Amino acid sequence: MQTVKDTIWEVVYAILPITILVLVLQYTLIWLPFESVLQFLIGVIFVSVGLVLFLIGVHIGLLPVGEMIGSALPKTGKVWMILIFSFVLGFAVTVAEPDVHVLSGYVDQVSEGAIAKWTLIIPVAIGLGIFVSLSMARIILKISIKWILIAGYSIVFALALSPWMPAEFIPISFDSGGVTTGPMAVPFILAFGVGVASVLRSDEKVADGFGLVALASIGPIIAVLLLGIFYG
Amino acid sequence: MAIKIFYGFGDVLFEVSMALIPLILFFLFFQIFMLKLPLKRVKDIFVGIALTFMGLAFFLQGVHVGFLPVGREIGDLVGNWKHQWILIPVGFLLGFVATFAEPAVRVLNAEVDKVSSGYIPAKLMLYTLSIGVAISIALAMTRIIFGIPLWYIIGPGYFLALALAIISTETFTSIAFDAGGVATGPMTVTFILAIALGFSDTLEGRDPMLDGFGMIAIVALAPILSVLILGLLFKLNESRSDG
Repeated sequence: MQTVKDTIWEVVYAILPITILVLVLQYTLIWLPFESVLQFLIGVIFVSVGLVLFLIGVHIGLLPVGEMIGSALPKTGKVWMILIFSFVLGFAVTVAEPDVHVLSGYVDQVSEGAIAKWTLIIPVAIGLGIFVSLSMARIILKISIKWILIAGYSIVFALALSPWMPAEFIPISFDSGGVTTGPMAVPFILAFGVGVASVLRSDEKVADGFGLVALASIGPIIAVLLLGIFYG
Repeated sequence: MAIKIFYGFGDVLFEVSMALIPLILFFLFFQIFMLKLPLKRVKDIFVGIALTFMGLAFFLQGVHVGFLPVGREIGDLVGNWKHQWILIPVGFLLGFVATFAEPAVRVLNAEVDKVSSGYIPAKLMLYTLSIGVAISIALAMTRIIFGIPLWYIIGPGYFLALALAIISTETFTSIAFDAGGVATGPMTVTFILAIALGFSDTLEGRDPMLDGFGMIAIVALAPILSVLILGLLFKLNESRSDG
């Protein structure tokens, strides 16, 4: 079970150093009550165990599925099917993304329920789905990633600077773009995209598998900005 | 304060169930109409899904009872100090340590090393990225203290990123923007963000909705700019040795 051991180390490396730093700061600078330190350590243990189980589960369960579906779809020869299922897949992985739940939970709490959890999760997932679909279209049509980046961020800036934009939606919209690239979406979209790309363009390098995640940040930003304009 | 361990776990379990339903439906649809995997394989996949379920539940519970309340408490505490600027160097340290050890960052560094055929060594990338994220978090804390609008940082940041992307190669542009997510690891999004939220909540005249959130966006810019700038240096060096 090499992968289990690797996964445990991976999580330990991501969490332990900063935990030690926080404890050092605690006993030199911060001096929180002991209950809070205990509560923090409970958090560390739960988050670590959770991440290990989550990553192992994704690797044995969902990733192989993503790859299989990714390579099965192009064989149908129907471009519209690839695009539709890219959207559905992008939606489904975002709804299951841990970081998305953390952010939307914080927004729910800080806004005192004004922007409820699922009010944020659903648009973010739709935005990501649309952009995964667009990324596939880009690979099929061989459009340079730069054009989509420039067009995408132009829309982002135009919306964010528009007079109808409530100011409190701008930080959370950009943060939403950051959290979609978490431990669920990234490997899944890559597995799926590489599957599609390897069948569609077997003559070329799989360099197009790159760039899939890049576009994934734009969709959620645009979606939450639109949510702000209509909802705020 | 009583120690909370499983407080609110029922809500978390419900949330996680909702979170995994679309993926399960997606898989079942393909299983029935297209993949038609043997039953044993399907069983393995459901074992994986069960582990994912438990993992997600524990993760969110840990954030819920541990990282969010304690992070906010720390931010709140420092917000009441005379020397609030201490959070700027503390943010720098937290950002550096979080990135330096992050496994996703190491994967990215190895990839860049390979694509640039060793011109951008993994070590150089690691230090550039860690310092980049450290500066980002320090900047996010500075922003809260002085009430600087997110725009003043994000605007020029993305403008520079897009300008660099235009003159960069397709490969480096792809890697750079893909890398945006690697620096926002599990501790950044949960614990460090919670500190920023508590801090901006306590400071007079600051609103966590406006000043606390936005930190992830600033952090996500660090790897994009790091890869693009190093990629550009690589390209300059390459064209010099060609000519």
